[in-house]
Amino acid sequence: MLSHVTSVVLVGSEPRRVDVEAFIGGGKPKIHIVGLPDTAVREARQRVTAALKASGWSFPNRPVIVNLAPADVPKGGSAYDLPIAIAVLAAARLIPAHAARVVALGELALDGRVRAVRGGLGAARIAGELDVPCLLPPDSAAEADALGDGAHVCAVRSLGEAVAVALGEQPGAPIPELRTPETVVADLAEVRGQALVRRALEIVAAGGHHILMTGPPGGGKTMMARCLPGILPRLTGADVVETALTWAAAGLARPDPSLAPFRSPHHSASLAALIGGGSGIPVPGEAALAHNGVLFLDELGEFPVHLLDALRQPMEEGSVVVARKGASVRFATAFQLVAATNPCPCGFEGDAIKQCECSPQEVSRYKRRLSGPLLDRFDIVVPVPRVESAAMAGAPGEASVDVAQRVAAARKRQQVRGMANARMRRRHLDRLHWDDGVLQMLERAMRRSALTARGWDRVRRVASTIADLAESEVILESHIAEALAFRGQQ
Amino acid sequence: MSGDARLQVAFGGLHPERVRTLYDRYGPSGTLRRIVGGAIETTDRVRREVGIPAAERLRRLGEAGIAVVRRGETGYPEHLADLPDAPDLVFVRGELPSMPGVAVVGTRRCTSYGRRIAGEYGRAIAEAGWVLVSGLARGVDGAAHSGTVSAGGVGVAVLGSGIDVMYPREHADLARQLLENGGAVISESPPGTPPEAWRFPPRNRIISGLAVAVVVVEATVKGGALITAESALVHGRQVFAVPGDISRASSAGCNLLIRDGAFPVHDPDDLIESLELVLGPGSRTGRKQASAELSDSDIRLIELVEAGANDLDTLMARGVGGPGEILAALGRLELLGVVSTDGSGRYLPTGR
Repeated sequence: MLSHVTSVVLVGSEPRRVDVEAFIGGGKPKIHIVGLPDTAVREARQRVTAALKASGWSFPNRPVIVNLAPADVPKGGSAYDLPIAIAVLAAARLIPAHAARVVALGELALDGRVRAVRGGLGAARIAGELDVPCLLPPDSAAEADALGDGAHVCAVRSLGEAVAVALGEQPGAPIPELRTPETVVADLAEVRGQALVRRALEIVAAGGHHILMTGPPGGGKTMMARCLPGILPRLTGADVVETALTWAAAGLARPDPSLAPFRSPHHSASLAALIGGGSGIPVPGEAALAHNGVLFLDELGEFPVHLLDALRQPMEEGSVVVARKGASVRFATAFQLVAATNPCPCGFEGDAIKQCECSPQEVSRYKRRLSGPLLDRFDIVVPVPRVESAAMAGAPGEASVDVAQRVAAARKRQQVRGMANARMRRRHLDRLHWDDGVLQMLERAMRRSALTARGWDRVRRVASTIADLAESEVILESHIAEALAFRGQQ
Repeated sequence: MSGDARLQVAFGGLHPERVRTLYDRYGPSGTLRRIVGGAIETTDRVRREVGIPAAERLRRLGEAGIAVVRRGETGYPEHLADLPDAPDLVFVRGELPSMPGVAVVGTRRCTSYGRRIAGEYGRAIAEAGWVLVSGLARGVDGAAHSGTVSAGGVGVAVLGSGIDVMYPREHADLARQLLENGGAVISESPPGTPPEAWRFPPRNRIISGLAVAVVVVEATVKGGALITAESALVHGRQVFAVPGDISRASSAGCNLLIRDGAFPVHDPDDLIESLELVLGPGSRTGRKQASAELSDSDIRLIELVEAGANDLDTLMARGVGGPGEILAALGRLELLGVVSTDGSGRYLPTGR
């Protein structure tokens, strides 16, 4: 009296098959769940018992063993309630054995209803591979369907309905539209003045560059950072799915699956929260959640040095391996770093109106914290001054949709070349088509402002993006000049 | 040799007031004898320093490339000698200009407004062919010195520490450029003296002493800049103040000075005109001959920047082009040294 139902576990962003096996033996009634369940999985026995009863079945009056195979991968959460219930019913011969030929995922309420869980997309993919129906709570089904993996998906609202669908007695419930809440992204049209920052955002969006914004409180650094996803290209194809799966592994839903993600961890975040970790299977951290999107570090100077150091490898390699007892997982971390900082602890050093209250020592200590290897990662550093009230009254700026079109065109040019400009190293830069006067101009800049070789490469990277925005195959003197103008703001 | 006694006593680094009191009572040689003999209470260190013979001192100073200029000797700034409390001697690096200068002083914690104004005055004074005098401190002083240096002018930095002790350290480069431009760094404290707080007020009297006029750019009510302004008044120098926002602490000192009769200045030309009566007509160099590399639109842009349209928003509002276009032009002009930026997104004309 054995049965099994298939379910899914997310290892990083990779869905892996889990077989939920149920065995009913002889002896005193008892229920065991094995296969490295966490507390939430173990508590499934109470939920399943109540849900079976509420749905008109009685829990077998014999010992039940539930195994989640492979037995050495840790499983967590409440999503195994539904597959466990179906497997138990089939093992107890309360329903025909072929009802167990499904992939299922869902939490059970005590009255037998099915509650939404994350990871529906992963289950749908497994179901596709096995070519069997995939039973999911309606909201999870909506997510899987919206991301284009809905062929096998059936929405089920209750355990009874799930069994009926599994037996082929009825089709699934209608799959609701994915609810897309008002996005949290800000629109550039709301930004008044700040032409320099707007231009900087357009360039970093077009080239994938990391950017640091410095300025006093009230300049709108955070708001400007939130504008970036809205001008970045929409995610497509595999990127949408990968990001959605990664978010699901962290227990998060993507409100707008094709919008570039925006993550903004607080400076008190732990290393595990930032890079990934946790017990059992490593859960993706903020760096992985921001993959294909923006990682925003507000108050960069407040972040402990060890956190900033830990970000260096993911930034350079575009991925990070997090090893835990349960598994060793590689998370993709190709995010764009946007950081904001005050120029000094009080924030008003160099302000046009307000006097800075910090001692010179405090200011230089603050600046020192930001120096060195980290500052080197930012292709663009831009000041964000407080906006004068006159500018606030001015006309609204260009809307994000319009900027996004230019950004998309520039990105397309880079795709043809094979990589985002931000990822170009010296050998790639050397291969680009530079105008004749450019070299002299750079030499002049190097003499004048002690531009280092690394600084030189940064200027060239930014200039190549400016050329892309101008739809110019050749990188002209004017493109270098503008890149140097940004360089001058450092 | 009272001159040698004075040199030896100077190395004690005592407060100028105290030295003057001692000289009045005992004379230089008597003071020296009493310090070395212990009759005047000082620290062991002072006794030891003062005890080193003058010849030995001069030899060491010569090795370090530091000159000593004594009051009453040729080379001692005439204008400084006018002060009743003029220093007995000053330590000098570089060439002390013979003509009096114009001092630009202000708070160390200035706003970017103050920094910009200080830079403009430093530059204007250099362009007029005059000497800028300031204290090489952070904030206004440093900005004024950089303004002068960037315009290729001559500046004198009066330090509170010994002239071989660079404070703040980040101005070491500025001091070097100042010397390269034919300016000087001077101090009445002996070489090696650390930047102790009490040395700065007496230092300020030397700043006003070397100048015919003192311009206070931004100052708090309690700041050292007001001490400089006060001694300027005592010494009969003209005091100018740049008016500021009445609600801003960093301008309160300037506004107070104006209330008390200081001459308010609104732009560098104002100052230059007022001072031409005293200093003779400035030899304004003018920028217009600049290089052939400037196009008409470049010149238009420079004129706008000069007129105060100094950030991208304002320039775009004036219709000189899109953001990329304007930034490219500004980047090129910066490279040519025609404009500069202070890292807050604002551009300044450098006047070259």
